[in-house]
Amino acid sequence: MKRPDLSRLAPPGFGLRTELQLFGTGSALAVLYSARYPVRFIRARRDVILALQRGLTPEMPDFCSLIDGVLLGFALLAACMLLAAAAHYLYHLQGSKSIYLMRRLPSRWELHRRCLTLPVLGAALCLVVSALLLLLYLGIYRLFTPEILQTPLQWQKLWSVLL
Amino acid sequence: MIELNHVSKSYPGKKALSDVSLRLPQGEIVGLFGENGAGKTTLIKCILGLLPHSGSITLDGAPITRRNIARLSFATSEHSFFPNLNAEAHAGFYAAHFPDFSRKRFDGLMRFFELPRYKALRSFSTGQKNQFEVILALCQGADYIFMDEPFAGNDVFNREDFYKVLLGVLEPNETVLLSTHLIEEVSGFIGRAVLIRKGKIVGDVSMSELEESGEDLMGYIKQTYHYHADRVSRALDEITGEEE
Repeated sequence: MKRPDLSRLAPPGFGLRTELQLFGTGSALAVLYSARYPVRFIRARRDVILALQRGLTPEMPDFCSLIDGVLLGFALLAACMLLAAAAHYLYHLQGSKSIYLMRRLPSRWELHRRCLTLPVLGAALCLVVSALLLLLYLGIYRLFTPEILQTPLQWQKLWSVLL
Repeated sequence: MIELNHVSKSYPGKKALSDVSLRLPQGEIVGLFGENGAGKTTLIKCILGLLPHSGSITLDGAPITRRNIARLSFATSEHSFFPNLNAEAHAGFYAAHFPDFSRKRFDGLMRFFELPRYKALRSFSTGQKNQFEVILALCQGADYIFMDEPFAGNDVFNREDFYKVLLGVLEPNETVLLSTHLIEEVSGFIGRAVLIRKGKIVGDVSMSELEESGEDLMGYIKQTYHYHADRVSRALDEITGEEE
């Protein structure tokens, strides 16, 4: 499969490779940071099972309390996309004033297309990966929480927290 | 024809252009002269739509917008190319955005100036950068070519070559507005001189009119600017003269 030519979506001559590497590193760190969820879940599950074995009546923490802050890395990475967009615009003032050329192109949106497309795609990717991880972690919660401890309306509780 | 009517532009605390009216018919080489800060660059940037202004600027009767902006090109001493791209990549970019981009002229000028094609422009010398900036402006396929101090940093031989090439490659319908301080160098090939001072057009004369009157361009400019020939000697007298 042919790799898409992303350079057409970035300012001409911009250090796209470095930017993609930074984004990749940021994404990897955000995924690592989100691994706090499985750790929290395993601890909570172990605690309630131990409590059950002692004859107590424990309560499994809600999913929304376990997921709290876990996806922060993606929010920060998405916020960094604003900086990337600013860097793209500023690039046209570095070493020359290529902004003059970009502003007098017959295509009105060329400058903005090249400055904003990748940051918007990056932010969208953060959102999609966050949503997928959220579903994955909710699935883990549903599958591995003992049935006796499952409380209803986890999805609704999550939405009430998010909204 | 490009027509400016009552164009004014202010920066905070400074009037850069004041009620400028000017006509640039097709097929002329026009020199734009004025001291530093007179408003030459501001005037060109207003025409190109790079600066907001009051008054009207039209190209063949229509306002200058994205529809007709390709008919205007710009070479500036600040440079408007992409430093990380090489010359070939620039040719590709221009060809993609300017339908009348002349590959033939580009190749010819690149060969003439012996500029490297596959080297990032950031590694060019200042003279080479200037040459490339001018090449792009000449090859865009524009009817009106604006040049703002395009030779700043070029040596005299370099400039001499450029003038010859410019005269050789220009088509009769191409207009050049050349802003420069090198008055004597360009006086041989411009057809008209426009003088700007403190944001106002203070002189506009064709070279044939000057020839008829027996005056040279430098003399005309000095006269228009009320230049005092004894200014230097008086200053030197003041500086070096003995105290009474």
